[in-house]
Amino acid sequence: MTLKYAYHTAIAGIGATPFTKDSGRTPMDQAVEACLAACEDAGLPPEKVNGMVTYSAEQNPEIEVARNLGISELTHFSMVHHGGGAACGVIAVACQAIYSGAADYVLCYRAFNERSWHRFGAGVQDRPAGAEAVEVSFSWSSPFGLVTPASWVAMFATRYMHEFGATTEDFGRVSVVDRAFAATNPYAHFFQRPITLEDHQNSRWIVEPLRLLDCCQETDGAQALLVTTAERAKDLKQTPAVIASAAQGVAEDQHMMRSYYRDNITGIPEMGLCARQLYQTSGLSADDIQTAIIYDHFTPLVLPQLEEFGFCGRGEAKDFIRDGHLEREGRLPINTNGGQLGEAYIHGLNGIAEGVRQIRGTSVNQIDNVENVLATAGTAVPTSALILSQPR
Amino acid sequence: MSDEMTDAQKEAFVAKLRRQVGNTGTAATARDPVNQPMIRHWCDAMEDANPLYVNPHSADAGPHGEIVAPPAMLNAWTMIGLVPRVNDPEDPASGVYAMLDEAGYVGVVATNSEHVYHRYLKLGDHLTGVVKLVDVSEEKQTALGIGHFVTTETEYHDQHGDHVGSMFFRILKFRPGTGRTASSSDSDSAAERSPRPRPSRNQDTDFFWQGSRAGELRIQQCLKCERLQHPPGTRCPACGATEMGYTTASGKGTLYSFVVAHHPRVPSFDYPLNIGLVELEEGVRLVTNITDCGSDQLKVGMPLEAWHMQTHEDVSLPVFRPARMPRNPTTLTFDEVSVGDEIPLCPIPLTPTLIVSTAIASRDYQEVHHDRDMAIKKGSEDIFMNILTSSGLSARYIGDWAGPGAVFKNLKIRLGAPNYPYDCMTMSGSVTAKREADGEAIAEISFRGQNSRGPHVSGTVDLALPRA
Repeated sequence: MTLKYAYHTAIAGIGATPFTKDSGRTPMDQAVEACLAACEDAGLPPEKVNGMVTYSAEQNPEIEVARNLGISELTHFSMVHHGGGAACGVIAVACQAIYSGAADYVLCYRAFNERSWHRFGAGVQDRPAGAEAVEVSFSWSSPFGLVTPASWVAMFATRYMHEFGATTEDFGRVSVVDRAFAATNPYAHFFQRPITLEDHQNSRWIVEPLRLLDCCQETDGAQALLVTTAERAKDLKQTPAVIASAAQGVAEDQHMMRSYYRDNITGIPEMGLCARQLYQTSGLSADDIQTAIIYDHFTPLVLPQLEEFGFCGRGEAKDFIRDGHLEREGRLPINTNGGQLGEAYIHGLNGIAEGVRQIRGTSVNQIDNVENVLATAGTAVPTSALILSQPR
Repeated sequence: MSDEMTDAQKEAFVAKLRRQVGNTGTAATARDPVNQPMIRHWCDAMEDANPLYVNPHSADAGPHGEIVAPPAMLNAWTMIGLVPRVNDPEDPASGVYAMLDEAGYVGVVATNSEHVYHRYLKLGDHLTGVVKLVDVSEEKQTALGIGHFVTTETEYHDQHGDHVGSMFFRILKFRPGTGRTASSSDSDSAAERSPRPRPSRNQDTDFFWQGSRAGELRIQQCLKCERLQHPPGTRCPACGATEMGYTTASGKGTLYSFVVAHHPRVPSFDYPLNIGLVELEEGVRLVTNITDCGSDQLKVGMPLEAWHMQTHEDVSLPVFRPARMPRNPTTLTFDEVSVGDEIPLCPIPLTPTLIVSTAIASRDYQEVHHDRDMAIKKGSEDIFMNILTSSGLSARYIGDWAGPGAVFKNLKIRLGAPNYPYDCMTMSGSVTAKREADGEAIAEISFRGQNSRGPHVSGTVDLALPRA
């Protein structure tokens, strides 16, 4: 299998609203603002957009957003399943639409009042019983109180700690890294508020072994990305962030956040599937990646992602992290925007925007000599990932 | 009546209660000598399978050379039994109890029992106990109610006058209905609690929930290749067969992973909430709750056993508790035991049968241990376990771990939350010290029995262990 759109497309524009805890605005208003900002960033009149992709849990239908943007015709529109797991999946689908000729300019967006309206972290406690497959799937966990995203992830974390000797401090080190980058990012919720490992260890339990400071921000806000061909992107305003590759993955015995029944639950095989596709079709390897956006809704699953992408061996992420490799001067600085723990939790799209800035050289925490940036999407769900590269 | 007592009257009342402190009562001789039937009843009720108490062959080869009574039975032998209670006006303790009853302090719970065993009792030993009134407390507000603690010490001698053991004992006599929390509030809040999320089910999964309602843990099985899978599907992904049945799992498993939920709090659950991923011995895993186990006692790999918790009229959930610790058939030697060693957890489901049969087997005929109406009238929520049984079950737990030849030198317990029916008490313990004393190798054990309300019993034991 080859992804024929490798290196064929690029992210040409990025746009976001302020990230807040209480926007006082509708998600629709924010979606439209972010989309307009992405077009403006690229120097593209919004009416030229003819494709829109978003992902499940989105509250703003693309036809409503398109109408507000003044877009008269859409020739591609799609909704990718599995929430944050689709953060890079929306880009992959946009690439497919563009490469196939179904659309020329595709807006990918996420907008919500995740903090001031429906809190994502509250989980599925209020889902009514029903006979459909998705409801039945919750029967194997919700009646026992395993109802929140934090709790679903925590189950993997305990087993990972048991098998590899990782500790909650190793999770905390991820949080400290994110918050250090957030501290120097004026756009981040936790601007100028770094934490220490001690702060992490003193934060209250959410679901053991996860503490408060292992959990991402619930955010009000919107982020949009404009995708087009690498060729067209050259004619727009910004340095194109070429999409070396973008891939989705579902692995054997996949469940939504609760793939607990596999022989081994310390890895993320669906992310491994994404890694194989990306490396194979881009011709790149872990050695070629200078910085990465590692999906960090909860810190523990950052560790196996590093392993799936070959930055360290199986079970060795704790050592990689203890050696400081994720930090500013480390081998692989991650989440230079502050991540979803430090900047905002826009289901991964704000991280991809940071990846674009690292390619452009405009990040507030710019890493030197960035050639390729890895970005990953939500873990434990069916997932996705992509690599952004300098234009050739 | 005591409600209306002035401070001066209270003082006078306490002085009256204390008039006999320091005095001993008349010697009370056991109605029967130490005998096998009573031992057998005790062992049956306590589920204590130590063969040294009942099996002559094992007992001959054991450290005592003959059958002995479980040491925790010490004060069972001289219990008065189910006979009309005639208070001996000369007996200082009985006199105090009677005065307290008359003053409205009719509720009674035992709070402390400390046995010291000079030697194990053998068949035919005939015990005599002499009770000394040691202390009567000021009036105190306790969780159960306003009352007085009464402390006694009993010395036990055999038919030859040899001192075989002693007991320090404390009870609380309290006025029903004067507790810190009205007794009905707990059950009210439980009734108002919103039910757990109801499991969604359809034709593909109904067998699982029907099984759980019937007390069975059913796991889907391919009828062709016999592969098990959970959660269930419509087809065997291994061999492609569409004929799917189920097998009934043993309910035995181990903890594969777990979480302890704190936030956010869903009103249907108590927090912190133990949620486990259990690997059944048949090889599949399921998400469930780990009940009757402190959050800090969860360990990956711990053995578990299933039970079925009814959550709705037509729904029961398969949940797990620590597996009952298997009885150690050989005896631990002194060298095999280290300070800090933890004794495996052992749950003791508190059935009404356990509470009533153990009370009777220990010859404790107080109504509060077998008659619910009387128990409620005397300020309790239900019948509750008697202190002799708390001692007996603690001794069973320690003995099952240490082995049949471990010799109890003493057994000291203190009671907290009552053991009511339909709860479960989970025992835990550890080795806290090792020492040589009077030529014996002694391991000091500290233990606890926790029910859903809190610690029911905590205590210590000195065990003499063989050196090799």
